[in-house]
Amino acid sequence: LETLTSSPTENQRPVNPSHFGKVVDSFLDMGFSHAQIKELFSVQPRLPSQARLAVVSELLLLGLSTDSILKAIQKNTELLRMSPERLKNRADLLRKFNFQEGSLNHIVIHCPSIFTLPERRIEAVKDLLMEKCLFTVQQVSKILQTCPNVLLEDLDDLEYTFQFAYYRMGVKHREIVNSGFFQTSLADIKNRTIFLERLGLYQTPDKKGQTQIVNPKLKTLIRASETDFVTKIACSTIEEYEIFKKLLAREEEQKWNEDGTLEVE
Amino acid sequence: KKWAATRPRISSTRLALQNFDMNYSVQFGSLWPSIRISLLSEQKYGALFNNFSDIQRMTQELECLNAVDFIWESQKVVQDLNSAAGQQASKPAVSTGTLAVPAESQAQPHPCLSTLISPNIRCYIFPKGDISLFPPARPDTLGILGYYLLDAASVLPVLALNVQPGDLVLDLCAAPGGKTLALLQTGCCRELAANDVSISRTGRLNRVLRSYIPPNICDIVRITSWDGRKWGDLEANTYDRVLVDVPCTNDRHSVMEEDNNIFKNMRKGERQMLPMLQLELLIAGILAAKPGGEVVYSTCSLSQLQNECVVERAVELLNIQYNIDVHVEDLSIFRRLFQDTFSFFPNCRLGELVVPHLTSNFGPMYFCKLRRVG
Ligand SMILES: C[S@@+](CC[C@H](N)C(=O)[O-])C[C@H]1O[C@@H](n2cnc3c(N)ncnc32)[C@H](O)[C@@H]1O
Repeated sequence: LETLTSSPTENQRPVNPSHFGKVVDSFLDMGFSHAQIKELFSVQPRLPSQARLAVVSELLLLGLSTDSILKAIQKNTELLRMSPERLKNRADLLRKFNFQEGSLNHIVIHCPSIFTLPERRIEAVKDLLMEKCLFTVQQVSKILQTCPNVLLEDLDDLEYTFQFAYYRMGVKHREIVNSGFFQTSLADIKNRTIFLERLGLYQTPDKKGQTQIVNPKLKTLIRASETDFVTKIACSTIEEYEIFKKLLAREEEQKWNEDGTLEVE
Repeated sequence: KKWAATRPRISSTRLALQNFDMNYSVQFGSLWPSIRISLLSEQKYGALFNNFSDIQRMTQELECLNAVDFIWESQKVVQDLNSAAGQQASKPAVSTGTLAVPAESQAQPHPCLSTLISPNIRCYIFPKGDISLFPPARPDTLGILGYYLLDAASVLPVLALNVQPGDLVLDLCAAPGGKTLALLQTGCCRELAANDVSISRTGRLNRVLRSYIPPNICDIVRITSWDGRKWGDLEANTYDRVLVDVPCTNDRHSVMEEDNNIFKNMRKGERQMLPMLQLELLIAGILAAKPGGEVVYSTCSLSQLQNECVVERAVELLNIQYNIDVHVEDLSIFRRLFQDTFSFFPNCRLGELVVPHLTSNFGPMYFCKLRRVG
């Protein structure tokens, strides 16, 4: 009991030295450096090394780099506690999305919970994107690659965000996918779009997709820094934009509880 | 949280905006986008202080909210102008910083504020950039309300009218009565004729007055529902001060509300006749003024056609048809006094125009002062 409750640094793991040496060799074989192995073992230190090895091998088989594996495990320590079968299933599911070389590394680093999320959650996001938003399989996998955060978002919000881009901003699927649209929060997108719209610098295209002014490209609009957006795209001032955001937030609030009556001349 | 598939074909607010985009982008150039977004965003209110309510309690309540009386604040500008003028005399080379003071006003100290603007009016607002809202006014023990919420810029025409003690005052288009209330706050009106052609709206005016003004003061107000254009025949050469706050395209309302929108297709004729109606009302207002009397013309539109053009045409017509000389007064002092509160358009040919700006989202409000000379 004494050894079990002592702190991890002084904790002498109850493994026999030769067995431990073999495990280290296996990790070295996989391409981990000594330093990485040390870090790897400092996560969930009491986990049997066999389990650790199983999880890491499975991740390696998915084509992840040693670096990504380490980062993913550090960010989401639960990963190490997954059973090999569950991990295998999840890996199979992810392979179905046809992620390109290297893109899985990106996802795993930015959204390591992709492995621990319940499978129905991933399926639900996929179904929403395909069936309600009508993205193709390739587009869905690109969205997951570039914006893995969609997996964690509320489904209604996600659908609303899509609808805002498609109906209100009049942007087509391809541009939505290519711009990394879902990385940005709906609040930011709304603020920027409506700010431009009221300045007279953005117009929802009509049924034929036409506008009387040239709208800025979606990518430029969402990727610009706030200062660049305000001064270069909107040609306005930060002071005005700050007030506008507050006013818009209040408007949106009031939409839901409509009763405000003011004496207006 | 779904998107409505059906929208009215083309709404009146949309038509209004298209019309403004066309005309105002020419009139205001690069300023137009900032005005446009302000028209389309929540406007700011001012609380017109009611001197007939419990003054101490009201002052306390408003100051607790961190609201400030912008008219009182402008006194400081007068003091600054005075001391700047004093400094100027000793050190002529020093510039006065942000205040662009023309040469002649630098020469002599400024006359006191009370000789420029109607006295006793207080209007509380939240400072620039503060988007707080006033709670609705509550009645005091006598049932009188403490303040009236309005666009703070709409007290400017009343201030410009410079009502003096004992004046006979006409408010030609008075309903629902925000400016009428402000006129009564001066405590200067010997009699106040408040008129509006619409009977339902004079009804509203009546109710507003009863909630703010004690009965003995209400007695000096005469409410009528006549066509203001006839005033020249009804009561010519009668009033010391006349306020002509005409119906207009009401730009803010037109881009925001479908209800009662003058850009509705069926109101096209009415809309096109507006400048003529405005001209006739202004002429009637001037005819109702005594020689030497002062008239303020105001609209809540940005349109030159409804603002400067109407004034110019009225001056011309009065001269030709009635042989009456009308002098258009310089109100640029207002721009200097209230520049911290409102955003003024710097290039008005005549009169002054408050343009909406997100940091001080008041107006539009155009006002121009005319003095009937002969
Ligand atoms: C801008 S509103 C006046 C607002 C009012 N002065 C206030 O501050 O509350 C214009 C008013 O002019 C009135 N009006 C329209 N035509 C008129 C006419 N021919 N004679 C008098 N009033 C008229 C309308 O009924 C409307 O109430």
